Amino acid sequence: MSHKRNRNVGIIGIGQTQYSSHREDVNQPEMINEAVRFALEDAGLTYDDIDCVVHGNMELFEMVHQPDLWHTIGTGAYGKDAYRVTTGGTTGATLVCAADNLVASGMYDIVLAVGFEKLQEGHTTGGITNMADPLWSRNLQTGALTGATAGAMIREFGEERARRAAMKLRIDMDKHAMLNPNSHRSFGLDYDQLDDLMENSPKLVGELRLIHMCSQSDGACAMIFASEEKAKELSDKPVWIRDHITIHREETFNLFGKEDAEREETTHRFAARKLFERNGIDNPVDYFDVFEMYDPSSWWGLDWLREFMLLEGDEHLKMVENDELKIGGRLPLNPSGGVVAANPIGATAMVRVAEAALQIRGDAGGHQIPSEVKHALASGFGGTLWTVLTMLEKDLDW
Amino acid sequence: MAEYFGTTVDDIFSTQTERFRPEGAEGVDAVIAYDISGAGGGRWMVAIGGGKSETKKLDSLPAEFTAKMITDAETFVGMTVGRIDGMEAFQAGRVRAEGDMAMLLRLPQMFTKYVPPKKPITARDIIETAVDRFQPQYAQELDVTVGYDFTGKGGGQWTAVIKDGKCTLEEGLRDNLTVSNIVSAEDYVDLMLGKLDPMVAFGSGRLKLVGDMELAMKLPKIFAKFVPSEEAEAVEELIVLKKIISVDMEYSTGPVMGQFFEGLMEKKILANVCPKCGRKQLPPREVCAPCRCRADEFVEVGPGGEITMIDDTYYASPDPLTGETRETPYGSLHVLLDGCKDNETFWHMLKKNDLFDAQPGDRVRPVWADERTGSVNDILYFEKVR
Amino acid sequence: MGKRVAVCAVEQTGFFTNLWQKRFQEMAFDIVEPIIRKTGVTFDMATGIRNIITCSDDVFDARTISDNAMTDAVGAHYRGEEKVTMDGINAIGYGLACVLSGHDDIILIVGHCKESQSESRDMVTNLAFDPFYYRPLGLDFKNVAALQARAYMNKSGVTDEHLAKVVVNSRKNAALNPAANARELLTEEQVLKSPMTCDPIRLLHEYPVSDGAVAMLLVCEERASEFTDKPVWISGFANCMDSYFLGDKDLVGNFSLKKAAERAYRKAGVKNPAEEFDLVEVNDCFAYQTPMWLEGLGLCGEGKGSALIDGGGLKTCNVNKSGGMLAGNPLMIGGLARAAEAVIQLRGEAGDRQVEGAKKALAHGTTGAAGQFHSVLVLDSE
Repeated sequence: MSHKRNRNVGIIGIGQTQYSSHREDVNQPEMINEAVRFALEDAGLTYDDIDCVVHGNMELFEMVHQPDLWHTIGTGAYGKDAYRVTTGGTTGATLVCAADNLVASGMYDIVLAVGFEKLQEGHTTGGITNMADPLWSRNLQTGALTGATAGAMIREFGEERARRAAMKLRIDMDKHAMLNPNSHRSFGLDYDQLDDLMENSPKLVGELRLIHMCSQSDGACAMIFASEEKAKELSDKPVWIRDHITIHREETFNLFGKEDAEREETTHRFAARKLFERNGIDNPVDYFDVFEMYDPSSWWGLDWLREFMLLEGDEHLKMVENDELKIGGRLPLNPSGGVVAANPIGATAMVRVAEAALQIRGDAGGHQIPSEVKHALASGFGGTLWTVLTMLEKDLDW
Repeated sequence: MAEYFGTTVDDIFSTQTERFRPEGAEGVDAVIAYDISGAGGGRWMVAIGGGKSETKKLDSLPAEFTAKMITDAETFVGMTVGRIDGMEAFQAGRVRAEGDMAMLLRLPQMFTKYVPPKKPITARDIIETAVDRFQPQYAQELDVTVGYDFTGKGGGQWTAVIKDGKCTLEEGLRDNLTVSNIVSAEDYVDLMLGKLDPMVAFGSGRLKLVGDMELAMKLPKIFAKFVPSEEAEAVEELIVLKKIISVDMEYSTGPVMGQFFEGLMEKKILANVCPKCGRKQLPPREVCAPCRCRADEFVEVGPGGEITMIDDTYYASPDPLTGETRETPYGSLHVLLDGCKDNETFWHMLKKNDLFDAQPGDRVRPVWADERTGSVNDILYFEKVR
Repeated sequence: MGKRVAVCAVEQTGFFTNLWQKRFQEMAFDIVEPIIRKTGVTFDMATGIRNIITCSDDVFDARTISDNAMTDAVGAHYRGEEKVTMDGINAIGYGLACVLSGHDDIILIVGHCKESQSESRDMVTNLAFDPFYYRPLGLDFKNVAALQARAYMNKSGVTDEHLAKVVVNSRKNAALNPAANARELLTEEQVLKSPMTCDPIRLLHEYPVSDGAVAMLLVCEERASEFTDKPVWISGFANCMDSYFLGDKDLVGNFSLKKAAERAYRKAGVKNPAEEFDLVEVNDCFAYQTPMWLEGLGLCGEGKGSALIDGGGLKTCNVNKSGGMLAGNPLMIGGLARAAEAVIQLRGEAGDRQVEGAKKALAHGTTGAAGQFHSVLVLDSE
């Protein structure tokens, strides 16, 4: 069973810049151009081969209106069809959806998508806070920071177990980040620091501590997508996009009621359930060989694992506790180190797809999963609990 | 005194008071404590108040402080001179803060940036870079010792040992040197900075070369030109354009939010109700998102209610409406106002004094502003009913 | 193109200089509601709308992730929503891709912009330039347009008098369009005497500050009849980007417009653009752009803009029956509003300004300084 599509689309080129807290050595189009050149080199193509360029980031973070116009000098969109799509934190994932749709439609054979952010050029938490309604909640919100998930998990699983699992996951992710030369933050954390970090990492909001939270990074990611015919012609190992789904929800009012209030299904679980249903996936933990999740904090990463993998009870905690999420484990989570290791927001969700594709290709280098990766899942997160899921396949056999 | 990045913790604090900017510290009354570990560390306090600042080195930290920074000497110096990223050091746990974080973030406005004193370059500074400046491609198959005998003020003796394409530097002069440079420390510095011509120095006898003259002539190739570190940094300094962008905005409130704000002016909290599912919306919005229909009817709820969630925030973020850094910690809360059920919660601020006292389930009531203008600030915050 | 995609419904708020009484959420819901009512479309995950394409801009809305504010109003709660952050006509292009890809049967497009909310739209468009060079020089879309206007007038022989005729024609058409913003009739003399705001651009050569929203429902060919008996078919869409630096491009060359038009015509099978369209909607933010874009679109000969105006061609070719951008649409959805008028005309629902028997229409959109980016859409009623 499969979702219908007009024609198949393969990923044939991937380019990422180094992710870093600051890139004063390049301006925005120059930084974008780094990723674009890497992607073209990776695909063995030139600018002339590209039919269409899709550009995305959040314009208010750098305060540039319609930045694709200026950035043309970095994207190489001159003379080409071009689109600009943005959906907050999910932007990078939406860029992949858009490129997939544009190629699958038959309108373009080869599409270049570029996501980037230079967060150092603006105030990120202030920028995220500005997404709140100016009339009402803008002076209540603190960026994307909330202690609500930590609070809920502590209530459900007990303080010791929940806090320990979240910090264990944080250290797992740092171990992965240490293997990825592109990551912005790789601290070299070790498991013997777990108790110390649990007590002494500064608190941000409630039990959400600084070490749990993602960084703000500068960086860009570019990917090249081609029709099945072109992908087979141009690439030795194209990675196929099987399906994608986007689920948004209303602003974060009407939330956080009493414990006994009936809770609606999370957007993450809803998206995963719909996606897996229409693709006939009964057991996602066993089906997928890697999951690149948009984990803005270790608390969210931990909580959302249960939602995306349609788990129940404490199954997700057990996966962390039993080392099942590490490279070489049952379902490696974020071999790249994930979002807690690097977060150039407009690129972040695309990096998840790019890293999942590199795993399928076997080109992830130091953080390559040792066993064969045939089926990969990538998630994007943004807005008010918005989610985008992308399924990738090694073979065209679904 | 342990030196990091060319300066010391003591140097930094000794200039603290003269770097004070009263215009950046208006209305501030604070004591900042520093607990700096490691070689060259110590304990300091910086008091700010009444347009003045005072810095003291202490044996033990004051019991009362507004904010405290705990770090090690190397990290402290590195952050001060801009060689270590403060945020990353903070995230990695190499810097910890206690008390009012916002006050620490305001320090750059209250004190001008510390600039390490410019020290004259010494012969030692230069000779110690010899190993870094060594270029093995010009020293293939050499097995030699080069002596440096610097006389006079700032003098000293070193031997560079070149063997197997490698160079090591030792203090003192070895016996049987292949070649020896004898020169005053002052002249050596001038020679290396290009202020004194080598041929002039040699011809006038101010520079004496003893031993293998052929090797002596090769030395300028074997060791690359000395570049003072300030110049090296100056080349790397990047120009960054700083700009505050603002465009004034006029937000419409519309009939739905408008009615809600009118209610607040009369100390009434109005929710609107979805005609299909009956859900109450706070603040009211035009559309019930799950039912995709208009919600036109209004009902008064509260003003009291029950806390369902509290977020205690320690991160000092700027208030986007004013640009001012918010004082931490502060709390926001979700309240189930009387007349509401399930997830029909209302989001607002919690009274500062109640932050560590209030719990989900506690009763709260709004504290109203004396002058209400029809805005979110007409309610100052919610306080616990005792 | 093999399969086809239909526009099955279109709604617009009407355009106003200051829609102060509404938040933009309500502007959007005002037009989403009638689309649901008139077509009977649902948001069912299997058979209804499951993806919505919005068009808005963070800087105009002064909100990071401006579409976050729109989820409720466009029905995207627990559905997909993707924001196209450029002229909304490109949301139609992207919507076309979503349906042709097979991913979606139905796409709802909702674009909005409130130019009145910001102190000055020129301050917003100044932010479209790089912060190092053009921004400090004070460039915005208006003063760069003035450079282009001067260059174009020199090349084509279009004069101040011609531009007055363009504005008068726009107002004549707008007077018959209840949705237009600037509907008062003007004389050529009034236009010629209006103050020079950015030589050679006069106050009445500029589109008025405008607020408004436009929504459309796109449906795959197989299911179009479920929602309307008057589908309008998208037969060609393309766009094209020109260089950023003004010195890198020929300001009067219409490079990207010609490319976009050529690609859209090829897809739509248009061989002789000057003859084939029953009506044309061009996105003329400034009066000189009406003849200049018509040249670029191949609707009159190169350098023949002045002759077209002199010969009454704006009228005979049914150019901008809506009044055009000159009659007032907000920047982010100027091209989307052009497409809305074309759909309304092809549905035969344009009332007093109806072009009788209209079967084929062209809608054009542009973004950026001096037409850096152009989009061309060809629509057919059959």
